[in-house]
Amino acid sequence: MWFEDFPLGQKFVLGSYTFTEENIRAFARKYDPQPFHVDKAAAEKSIYGGLIASGWHTAAVWMKLMIANRRTAIAAGAESAQDNFVSPGVREIRWLSPVRPGTTLTYVNEPFAKLDWPTLPQFGLIEGRNEARDETGSLYYSFINRVLIARRAPITPR
Amino acid sequence: MDKRLYFDDFAAGQIYSLGTHRITAEEIIDFATEFDPQPQHLDPEAAKASILRGLAASGWHLCALAMRVMVDGLFGRAASMGSPGVDDVQWRRPVYAGDNLQLDAEVLETRPSSRADRGYVRIRFTMTRLRGAEERERVMLFVSSIIIGRERGNA
Repeated sequence: MWFEDFPLGQKFVLGSYTFTEENIRAFARKYDPQPFHVDKAAAEKSIYGGLIASGWHTAAVWMKLMIANRRTAIAAGAESAQDNFVSPGVREIRWLSPVRPGTTLTYVNEPFAKLDWPTLPQFGLIEGRNEARDETGSLYYSFINRVLIARRAPITPR
Repeated sequence: MDKRLYFDDFAAGQIYSLGTHRITAEEIIDFATEFDPQPQHLDPEAAKASILRGLAASGWHLCALAMRVMVDGLFGRAASMGSPGVDDVQWRRPVYAGDNLQLDAEVLETRPSSRADRGYVRIRFTMTRLRGAEERERVMLFVSSIIIGRERGNA
């Protein structure tokens, strides 16, 4: 899909992921070995009162679900496998509530803005709002993703 | 053993060199297999044909790796109580297998919390690729507030 054709304002449910004691500790042992992520007894004595997921674990799951969702779209013929999705970064990562073992979060993506990216005139930038909520609707995590998508017609660099 | 660090030990303008890590193909593929299974992060041959032109780490992997270097280099001995979020993550350059990466932290601002036992420390993290003695290239930047306990009243 070209940048010019990319629809805004539509919500995409990317999927759900259940955080468990096992996957929380496995991620944290590799990337974030703070006591409240890896050590159940120490976590109980911390300000969180129990084991919680690393914020980067909650963040990485978004990518996992985004890719799985995209594979489904490609298999259904709704998207081309040749589309290159490259990101120059993300904004406003907010860890709003601790994610405890047994929590299932559903991630939703809503593209809301199209911007020029003058250093790469053959691409345009899409910004999307992302939220992860549990089954009661409580918001745990949000951020704004940014992705560069090829234009049908490059803009003229100023 | 280094001294334990509390909120009041941090001040705007301080720079901490947190450590270095040489990233391997195995680490790149391991992270990508679970969280970002795209060809440019998984398959050295397919990656050559991608716009990154070689096996490159997922941006989320670099964030997770920065966290690991932070914990090993600073927060393991600071009274860290977590973080409410991160602003403006910039993935500036692809990071390839074998790259030697250094993480630095610059304290931008400190602000006591309304709760007496903690404060917020706003930090800019910079990940730099080291090539030889002279060449340095910034590959990732982000700014994050960290909640740090205060010495008195900190459980």
